[in-house]
Amino acid sequence: MSGNHLLEIKNLKIDVRVTKKRRLSIVDTASLIIEPGQIIGLIGESGSGKTMLCRSLVGTLGRRGAYIASGQLKFDGIDLISAKQSVWNEIRGKRIGYVPQSALAGPNPVMTIGAQLAEAILQDENFPKADLEKRSLELLNIVQIRRPETVLKQYQHELSGGMKQRVMIACAIAQQPQLIVADEPTTGLDVTVQAEIMELLKQIRKDFNTSIILVSHDLPLINEICDDTVVMHAGTTVEKIPSKSIKASKHPYTLALYNSRIDLVVPKGQLKTINGQPPSVGSWPEGCRFSERCDFVKDKCRVKQDLPLITIGTSHETSCLRYDEIAR
Amino acid sequence: MLKNQIARTILGRLGRALSVGFWVMVISFAIMRIIPGDPASARLGGVEAEAIAQLRKQLNLDGSIFQQFSRYVTDLLHGNLGISLQTGRTVIDIIGSTLPLTIYLILFSTFFAVILSIPIGTSIAWSGKAPIVYTFRGITAVILATPNFFIAMVGILIFTVRVNWSPVFGYEPEFPQNLKYLWLPVVVNTLIMTSVVSRVIFSSVIETKEEEFVETGIIRGVGRRRFFWFYILKPSMAPTVVLLSYMMGTMLGATVILETIFTLPGIGREMVNAVLTSDYPVVQGILLIFGVITVFLSFVGDVIAYLLDRRVKI
Ligand SMILES: Nc1ncnc2c1ncn2[C@@H]1O[C@H](COP(=O)(O)OP(=O)(O)OP(=O)(O)O)[C@@H](O)[C@H]1O
Ligand code: SF4
Ligand SMILES: [Mg+2]
Repeated sequence: MSGNHLLEIKNLKIDVRVTKKRRLSIVDTASLIIEPGQIIGLIGESGSGKTMLCRSLVGTLGRRGAYIASGQLKFDGIDLISAKQSVWNEIRGKRIGYVPQSALAGPNPVMTIGAQLAEAILQDENFPKADLEKRSLELLNIVQIRRPETVLKQYQHELSGGMKQRVMIACAIAQQPQLIVADEPTTGLDVTVQAEIMELLKQIRKDFNTSIILVSHDLPLINEICDDTVVMHAGTTVEKIPSKSIKASKHPYTLALYNSRIDLVVPKGQLKTINGQPPSVGSWPEGCRFSERCDFVKDKCRVKQDLPLITIGTSHETSCLRYDEIAR
Repeated sequence: MLKNQIARTILGRLGRALSVGFWVMVISFAIMRIIPGDPASARLGGVEAEAIAQLRKQLNLDGSIFQQFSRYVTDLLHGNLGISLQTGRTVIDIIGSTLPLTIYLILFSTFFAVILSIPIGTSIAWSGKAPIVYTFRGITAVILATPNFFIAMVGILIFTVRVNWSPVFGYEPEFPQNLKYLWLPVVVNTLIMTSVVSRVIFSSVIETKEEEFVETGIIRGVGRRRFFWFYILKPSMAPTVVLLSYMMGTMLGATVILETIFTLPGIGREMVNAVLTSDYPVVQGILLIFGVITVFLSFVGDVIAYLLDRRVKI
């Protein structure tokens, strides 16, 4: 049945060349499946490998000296690991749209916004040039940019953070891709703008049946708009769970994330934090990489082994060895 | 609204150029007056007071400093830069006959240096392969560390002495004929300039290629050619343009070494001669011209850099 998934990542391992000889794993045993029209939230502490996982989808790991060491990565049946330039030419900007993490620095500083939109639109070689302006304005309208005619002639430094973000989204959706990867599209923006951009992503999914991967640190936000939430910790996916049942998580890390939500803090109560620091790349503990921070840890968790996701319910997978013994 | 902002920025920069131009004029005026001793008596030695007074008058050194300055400015506005003490020719005439050669020399070598530096700098930066980068750094460092006159002499040894492709000395100012005399100095100067300019482009591209928007271009699936022009070259060009305009200005004086070795009657040599013979009006006039050209070039350079990349503050 695997042929039907839009995106299928299985036991992906991403290594980075530190020196000529030394290799370091920054993602290991990550798995993720997305169906058409699904919004998946990807959450985890800083450094857990979210951005690297996303980059593997557009083949730009090499820029950071990283590469896929093993595992499977299929987009609509196409093997992306062995993809050649010609395959990427068909995928980048056309079938996968990408809103980079630092979208605030994303637009090209030496091109007008109009030129960049045109670039995105003309990825379709058959697009009639005469309709370029119309389509550009249409895209800017979709992302709710005011005074789109002016913005077309402006440079990125003349735009606010929220506008840049919207421009990046407009470029990403120009070809109505099957998948949009939005890497923290609202970090650094104020709350109202955040909410608007989330609404926008939802609307795009509704209108075009686009699948979306939404990376965020913000659990409430993800809960609100994503169908499923995938939790990453130390380079691996530790749980996949329907967002609405996040409270019924069967992974201590997810629960810890949930309990450290600021919006749960009652006035006199204390903000619960997650024990310790995330283990840093290169010094992950053997066995469960959460073991050093976990309240439920037992000896068997520390035994050297891979911890793949195990299906324990509808759309619910966890990697915790003691999942049936934990409760909130 | 946008056009306005561009115009405003450029006009602001022009205003600054003009005010610097004014100070250049003041300095060229002041230079003869702040050197120790009295230029007139220094030049004439121990002759009678009358002759000295005469020369002081000719040099515009009589009367109060304000009278001197207002005469200087009035003369300037009439295109009068004074008369050479050595030859009796007008300074304007001297500049007019020596400046074109130097400008040819600078323009040609700048042109070729840019043509060469862009592909060299960008391709080496983009490939990023350590052996190539080291070789590039090594070669350019050696060229830069070698004195100009030495490179020029090696050039003469090869092309004049060995194969006789270039005349030993002489010059014809008319356009196509002058190339016969100019090509070797241009080659030498191009070589030196290319070492600097390609290094600047190299490091600028290295910086650019790490930027987030470059990745955006890749992810958007931008075609190769477009990608090269708009995501690599254009964002890297501003520092190069600024450097070039600065280099061209300083080269006005620096080409004196090449002009001397190749016995070319350029303005750099004229300047040195004038200093050696205490020909004050010529020194003063050439300084002014150098200053004005330098200010103009840096204005043009800044404006081009700004038009290429609006992030540039000018
Ligand atoms: N070139 C590299 N060399 C070594 N380590 C790297 C390299 N690039 C990334 N890493 C490491 O890989 C890990 C994963 O990075 P990634 O950017 O994917 O994290 P993230 O989950 O997106 O974090 P954030 O929430 O801060 O964006 C980090 O610990 C980072 O330090
Ligand atoms: S496997 Fe063990 S250490 Fe890891 S999360 Fe589950 S209980 Fe904690
Ligand atoms: Mg990230």
